[in-house]
Amino acid sequence: MVAPIKLSVPSDPKYLGLVRKVLQELLDKHRVPDDTARRLILCVDEACANIIKHSYEGPCDEPIEATFTIEDDDFKVQIRDYGKQCDTSKIKPRELDCIRPGGLGTHFMNEVMDEVSYCTDRAKGTLLTMIKHLKSEFTSARDKDKG
Amino acid sequence: MGIDLKLEKGEGAVTVAVCGEIDMSSSTQMRDALSPLFQNNNKVIVVDLSGVSYIDSSGIATLVEGLQWSHSSKNKFRLAALTPGVKDVFEIARLLTVFEVFDTKEQALTP
Repeated sequence: MVAPIKLSVPSDPKYLGLVRKVLQELLDKHRVPDDTARRLILCVDEACANIIKHSYEGPCDEPIEATFTIEDDDFKVQIRDYGKQCDTSKIKPRELDCIRPGGLGTHFMNEVMDEVSYCTDRAKGTLLTMIKHLKSEFTSARDKDKG
Repeated sequence: MGIDLKLEKGEGAVTVAVCGEIDMSSSTQMRDALSPLFQNNNKVIVVDLSGVSYIDSSGIATLVEGLQWSHSSKNKFRLAALTPGVKDVFEIARLLTVFEVFDTKEQALTP
């Protein structure tokens, strides 16, 4: 069992860059290929931005707790907030044919990650879990190294 | 963490060079720079993204506003010099073919 990396930041957009940097460092340590790392970072950034916008709706001093685990070629991130719960059945990416500003974050998460789930079975807030299976990415990176 | 913005005005065209990471905390800076340009009589607006290492959905949303301006005003809103990371985000959003995208700023300024 690999110990997870835990990071807690206030719900202030200025800390999104910090979350991205920490995650970049972690993915580098596990030799996750750059293009895959970029996409995982995008998903975590979008998830945190959604919490700031839709769950806390303004205050910049509420907690966002992220837990990252890389084990058995799987990347797993859990992001906990204590803000407003929303009807998770209504969290849907927007239709991409409709070109308008906004609503892309959920699309990125669903497109990049293999599993995305929201749990609101708690008194306050939401636990978001996203999983990406990295086996094929690791295998092709190793093959490239050999070649 | 903010972004640096540089405006260059030519004949009927304006180039906005953006440098840094565009996320929820910095995209309003880009919106503030672009919005007044939509009010002026610019025939072409080029956004030079060669210095942008990261863009999220809020940055994309700001650029989509430019696209909507170009559709309603019949003027041109063009993107130039997308870095691999930025290009990938446009690809996931399936917006690469929706925008006018050029390899260089100079190509984007060519009528």
